[in-house]
Amino acid sequence: MNVIEVDGVSKAYGDVQALDGLSLSVEQGATLGVFGTNGAGKTTLFKLLVGLNRPDDGSVSVAGADPTDGTAVRERVRYLPEHAGFPPSLTGREVLRFHARMRSVPREDRAHHVERILHTVGLADAADRRVGGYSNGMNRRLGLGTALVGEPAVLILDEPTAGLDPDGIRAFHEVVESLAAETDVTIVFSSHALGEIQRLCSEAVIIADGRVATAGPVEELRRAAADEVTVSLSLASEAVASDAATDLGDHEAVSSVSRAGGDLTVTTAPTDAYDLLTAVGEGYDIDRFEVREPGLEAAFHEAVGADDGDDPGSDSTAAAAEAATEDSGGEPA
Amino acid sequence: MSDGGSSADPTPDGGVVAADAPATRLHDGGTEQNATAAGTDDSALARLADSSLLTIARREYRLAVRSRWALGVALLFGLFTTAVVQFGASSVGPGRFDAVIATIAELGVYLVPLTALAVGYDAIVGADERGSLELMLALPVTKGRVVVGTAVGRAAVLSGAMLLGFVPGALLTVRYIGLGSVGQYAAVALAAVLTACAMLGVAVLVSTVARTKTHALGAALAIWLWVALLHDLVALGAVAGFDLGSGAIAAAILLNPVDCFRVLALSQVDVVAGGFGSVLAQAGLTVPMVAAALVAWVVVPIGVAAKLIQRRRL
Repeated sequence: MNVIEVDGVSKAYGDVQALDGLSLSVEQGATLGVFGTNGAGKTTLFKLLVGLNRPDDGSVSVAGADPTDGTAVRERVRYLPEHAGFPPSLTGREVLRFHARMRSVPREDRAHHVERILHTVGLADAADRRVGGYSNGMNRRLGLGTALVGEPAVLILDEPTAGLDPDGIRAFHEVVESLAAETDVTIVFSSHALGEIQRLCSEAVIIADGRVATAGPVEELRRAAADEVTVSLSLASEAVASDAATDLGDHEAVSSVSRAGGDLTVTTAPTDAYDLLTAVGEGYDIDRFEVREPGLEAAFHEAVGADDGDDPGSDSTAAAAEAATEDSGGEPA
Repeated sequence: MSDGGSSADPTPDGGVVAADAPATRLHDGGTEQNATAAGTDDSALARLADSSLLTIARREYRLAVRSRWALGVALLFGLFTTAVVQFGASSVGPGRFDAVIATIAELGVYLVPLTALAVGYDAIVGADERGSLELMLALPVTKGRVVVGTAVGRAAVLSGAMLLGFVPGALLTVRYIGLGSVGQYAAVALAAVLTACAMLGVAVLVSTVARTKTHALGAALAIWLWVALLHDLVALGAVAGFDLGSGAIAAAILLNPVDCFRVLALSQVDVVAGGFGSVLAQAGLTVPMVAAALVAWVVVPIGVAAKLIQRRRL
């Protein structure tokens, strides 16, 4: 059952066409990652899903209702804007209490509910400090806290981890993973950290120029974008690496090989990676190796075109860092 | 975080990330269904207090008090009324109280709208620039209620602070003139508060349509210039130049909340001051009519703002 249905939606701001016939559907309980270039239309899409704006054309349905039709959708949907701010003279606890009251959390449960959210987002010790004294990361945590008030059916989060420190990112990941595993909450969030989407999302959609460039299960997107793995090797010396590169160049399973000092980078089919490592290990001493599977970065480049000037540069770094920690690699036995 | 326990990890922020699962918390921390069930047991008063409009108004009230606007307005009007009554009522003469009221009316036409516009000009656009408006509008409340709740909260602060500011003047009036004058003084104070609420409504409307706080501030100052100075100049010029009838004069008064205040204030005394007041007798206006016009000045701009926020680009 689809909890979100977007059909041929267009939205323009003056001369700028933010969305251009975008269609999308999200199943209940799914965790959907939305990514794309800056200005691709992600935030505009989110605002339409919450009913903050009306589409110029097409239709939007969330939880079976039009988001602009009364407050029914907003009772079930939580939205964290990209630039969420709070009145500086309120404390974090007061902000959450306000949201709890607006969300009809029962009076007798309110204080306890707010306390638990403060603990969940890591603001328990700063709960009674004024928000004006919060760091950017603490503001983002508080924003995430407001999205958890009550019992959401759909979470729509616009770049929720932007500006968060590693602990804040970890807390966010834990919240999303827990909700995805233990509840039927549908989570839609945008991020430029492709590794984050890869880790947390079952589905992903890439938006470019106001349209869906590609969408589907994360694993499918990753594999469809590239069918080879990258094997990185560190050898004892440049001379050894040069000899190994020559040998690998003659290996029929190797698609490409490149050398930088004592390091080699080889691309090959996933099924041949083990044999390749074994072959090199028999002839040379390997200091370190790493096998990297194709990531969403490849899917992104394939979808929006590698020449687009608005590359998520920092994202590539984040994705690579994420991949490096997740993929197999280490000292040979 | 997935075991539903209660252990906690410290973070560099100084906060503590709880080890209990959000899913557990969501079910444990109360649901909207629970809210409905519990709501049936709540008193009508408690339900009213938790209504979205009053919740927004209460938050706005708290923000305004903490920003010290309330203190500033109370001090300003306290000094104003103290000075006027001290210098006016302490002098010898039969018309000394009339002079106090006339002075409050004449100086109030500058002070009251300026204060109200300053309190209200950033009500909506300020929240938008801060990033809290989008978050507020994503709550299960209509956009119109957000505007009305914001206006009600600020109006409560403004009214309370102004009434507090009129207290020192009232005490001095009792001291110099006696208890008999308190009723008239209170009527003037209420007229000032009603006028302030009307101008606050105008300020909220400006704040709803302005793209930036700077634009809203500029528009608020232009409106102040119009209601406090230019409107009377234009009206007097028209009356003198075109020999307009009493209907036009009445319309000119009713179309300016500040003139409504002047009429209401001067209706409390026998002596009518100069300026636009000199033509009041011809206008055929009554106090209830002018008071009703002021109420309309409170309601209409806020109602229009509640409609226009639908068109605001977020």
